[in-house]
Amino acid sequence: MSEPTIFFSEVNERQGAFTRRAFLLGGLTGLGLTALGGRLVHLQVLEAQRYQKLAQSNQFNFRLVPPPRGLILDRNGVTLASNRPNFRLLVARESEMDVEKTVTNLAQLVPLDDKKQTRLIKDIKRAPKKSPVQVMEDMSWEEFSRINVRAPELPGVTADMGEVRVYPFGGAFAHVIGYVARVNDRDIKAVRDKGLPVDDLLFNPGFRIGRQGVEKAFDLDLRGKAGAQKQEVDAQGRLVRNDPEGDIPPTPGKEIRLTLDADIQQRALEVMGEESGAIVMMDCRTGDLLCMASTPSFDANRFVKGLSTPEYKALAEYERKPLLDKAMSGTYPPGSTFKPMVALAALEAGVDPKAHINCPGSWYYGGRTWRCWGRHGAQDMHNAIKNSCDIYFYQTALKIGPDAIAKAARAFGLGGIFDIGIPGQKKGIVPDRAWKKRANLKNPRNQIWFPGESPSYGIGQGALAVNPLQLCVMTARLANARRALNPRLIKSIGGVDQPHGDAVEDLPYPQEFLDYVRGGMIAVANDTSGTAFRQSQLGLGDILMAGKTGTAQVRSYDKVKSRNSASVRWGLKDHNWYIAFAPIDAPRYAMAVLIEHGGLGGGTAAAPRAREVMRVALLKDPEIRARITQPMPLPELDPNAPVEGAAPGEATLGQAPPQPAAGTAAPTSPPAPGAPR
Amino acid sequence: MTASALTRPGERDRLIVKFSEIDWTFCLVLCLIAGAGAMIMFSAAELSWTPWAAPHLIRFAIFFVMMVIMAMLPLRVWFLSAYPVYAVALILLIGVEVAGDVSKGAQRWLEIGPLRFQPSEIMKVGIVLALARFYHGMSADSARMSWWLLVPMALIAAPTLLVAHQPDLGTSLLILFTGVAIMVLAGLSWKLIAAGIGSVMVAAPVMYFFVLHEYQRKRVDVLFNPEADPSGSGYHILQSKIALGAGGLLGKGFGLGSQSQLNFLPEKHTDFIFAALAEEFGFAGCFSILFLYGAVIFMALRIASISHSHFGRLAAAGVTATFALYVLINGAMVMGLAPVVGVPMPMLSYGGTVMLTVMIGFGLVQSVRVHRYSEVTSGRGALL
Repeated sequence: MSEPTIFFSEVNERQGAFTRRAFLLGGLTGLGLTALGGRLVHLQVLEAQRYQKLAQSNQFNFRLVPPPRGLILDRNGVTLASNRPNFRLLVARESEMDVEKTVTNLAQLVPLDDKKQTRLIKDIKRAPKKSPVQVMEDMSWEEFSRINVRAPELPGVTADMGEVRVYPFGGAFAHVIGYVARVNDRDIKAVRDKGLPVDDLLFNPGFRIGRQGVEKAFDLDLRGKAGAQKQEVDAQGRLVRNDPEGDIPPTPGKEIRLTLDADIQQRALEVMGEESGAIVMMDCRTGDLLCMASTPSFDANRFVKGLSTPEYKALAEYERKPLLDKAMSGTYPPGSTFKPMVALAALEAGVDPKAHINCPGSWYYGGRTWRCWGRHGAQDMHNAIKNSCDIYFYQTALKIGPDAIAKAARAFGLGGIFDIGIPGQKKGIVPDRAWKKRANLKNPRNQIWFPGESPSYGIGQGALAVNPLQLCVMTARLANARRALNPRLIKSIGGVDQPHGDAVEDLPYPQEFLDYVRGGMIAVANDTSGTAFRQSQLGLGDILMAGKTGTAQVRSYDKVKSRNSASVRWGLKDHNWYIAFAPIDAPRYAMAVLIEHGGLGGGTAAAPRAREVMRVALLKDPEIRARITQPMPLPELDPNAPVEGAAPGEATLGQAPPQPAAGTAAPTSPPAPGAPR
Repeated sequence: MTASALTRPGERDRLIVKFSEIDWTFCLVLCLIAGAGAMIMFSAAELSWTPWAAPHLIRFAIFFVMMVIMAMLPLRVWFLSAYPVYAVALILLIGVEVAGDVSKGAQRWLEIGPLRFQPSEIMKVGIVLALARFYHGMSADSARMSWWLLVPMALIAAPTLLVAHQPDLGTSLLILFTGVAIMVLAGLSWKLIAAGIGSVMVAAPVMYFFVLHEYQRKRVDVLFNPEADPSGSGYHILQSKIALGAGGLLGKGFGLGSQSQLNFLPEKHTDFIFAALAEEFGFAGCFSILFLYGAVIFMALRIASISHSHFGRLAAAGVTATFALYVLINGAMVMGLAPVVGVPMPMLSYGGTVMLTVMIGFGLVQSVRVHRYSEVTSGRGALL
């Protein structure tokens, strides 16, 4: 390297190349910067709005504010279902959160055993990020405040005040109102299957959905609409501040008023005692159901919390079936309470009510002996209803045939389903020839109606099965001067009155037929020889009750002679019925009482209970009350008569007691022998 | 001082003259960028000087003084230190490989006494110096196409592979691109350039499937479909794009960006500071910053082109190329056009090492400007 190695030409060549390439590099960089600028225009000018929205949805969270569930009230405004405050502990998983540690920390603040902790850790880990998992509810105030104080140190942990359903009457309305329970996957699937959008509320921890009765049928009305609380949050989902101006208040659920009366319902439950059965009462002017009780019942509040498996098993396996709504979901043979229908069908068929049928106590027909519960002698229709004579109705039913009976029964609501707003009614069976054919499709030889089936139909046995609600409707239709009244359970939803059940046509039966049958029922309760005379005395002056007893057998007595011996187990004892209406001169309340496997007669087991419930209804009615308490026009208090010095008030009290029942109630004749059917 | 005064021999060696020859416009632009960075950090820290804004400014001030001092170092000093710097950097890189500190899954840091630094940063300067020096003694023909080219290729390949193995894909690419840029600037034959591009096209898929780490591969995947994984790997890109878009034309205003204030934007003071700026100052702010960066690059290239020495030219242009790559890669990443690689926005982002590298680089550029007339020792084939 002794000589200069780099010549000018070469220098120039190198410099020239460099300059050209430097231009190129500069140009490329400029191009790159221009591309970035273009991208900026795209993002910040053209799509700015889209990204602004995204930034907002980043910045603000809307926390669901569950609406208060609508109240359920009785006809007078007594609360049947309401909400109570509920302190809950929630944990939401956050990024980089030590779930185990959080749960361990929580266990020091609230009681959480190991099993619960393990389950909780699993639940939290499985739940989507930031969606809260309920750890506890119904915390005490101390626990609630303890958590609230410590919450800032425990990321993801919040304690809030929610609401939970409460049923102040416990089991009294459990079957009608139903209950609410935690949402499960099936509930969500059911909504999806209907093609409806799934309400976000369903995913809210602690939210409960209506499961039975009114709670289920009117779930959407009761639920209301969720509100939202606008919160500014940071990237970890932690609350930065609330933005009250952006809040959307929740729409509370609608208030539902039932036609039921809490006092009557409560009394019904009381008089049922340990018995299994149902009491249904309705106003036979409007169709409003005043009482619909089924016993034994269950505490709906237990279901809200969530029933343990043994608890549920105990309820489900008890032979008296507390979970079944016997008032409308259970069907039973009506027994002798069906006789008014047979009588009506006979009148329609042209049977002379004055004609006598002799009752010697038994009747031989079709190769067997049909027994009556007594030996009544010559009976016309009136006496046959009053005495509940089986022989009369065996023969009458045979004469007029099943179709005529079924027609009458259906006209009065038996075998029907009523639109009362809640699901679960069983329509039972009102047999006729067409039914026989349908029921025996596979057995052609059994498709015809055998004459031998008619006699038992006449006394409300055989294939016939009805529910207490239907029997109550039947009684109401008999009582209310022939209108085909429908029952109503829902009085109003959110203040909007629901259609009454009385906008109906008249029954296709002449007034005198109905009067005749009603006459028989009045005699049952008021004629000293009626089957339920003693048990039907209301003791409310001239307010009288009419009724019909029923004792329905649940097995054949051909082989077992003793009917109601104490040795027979509960499930084989007779059902006891009583249907009644009052007052007899201007009927207002109709009812049906079922004592399932009561084992006594309809008059002994069911009628006294009917009387007690009826009394409550009558005494609550201000017009009836006025009639009862009104002083009798007494000659001694005539203004023209000389005043004897005694205070008029004393005289009234002493001489005209408001309840002149003593005279009428005195047993002037021996009680009806045996158990009336 | 007149122009004639500067023609006097020895006049240009006077410190005061050297000082005045520094491109002060260039320095002003650097100050503006660093100041903007401090402002965004101040806002991102909820209007607080700590923990970022104050250290950023102090650091910049120190490095600025350092840059000015370096600008006065004779070009010859740079020239002579070129190979040693490169060699030291390479040894340190090997040291990292052997005894580096692992942080965030990568082995990048080396601790010597109280010092804790990334040798890859030194290498960014080292590669520029070494290549510039090598080409300085090379004829145009050899630089175009000759076996001699194997030397710069080896100089580039060694640090690139070492850094990539750490693994630090961003820096590795930066070294590679810088080196290639210098080779191109020095007059590499177009045929070889085309061949190189072709082989990269073939190698890229192979790299993707066999060389890249799982997390790097994920980042590339996410680039093409960021919405597919909004909470995982796509989170960075998505949030950054939201911040940019939400800024709109004029921005949300100082201290009012929800994306950065509420921490939705990750790395808001470092790699994604441009997005934080975009949110609060909008298109106007972004455009201004990009303009300033463009100005820096333009001025630096101009300095390179007026240098009388080939070493000066290539060194200044190499530094410019590194800087431009920083800006372009980071910009593209923030705007969702490139995978998330850990490349910060120079001067704007918080972080000492990168700023130090860049400021040393600019010291070199300024030195080239100050000593643009001086000839550095020539010597074809002189390796040292």
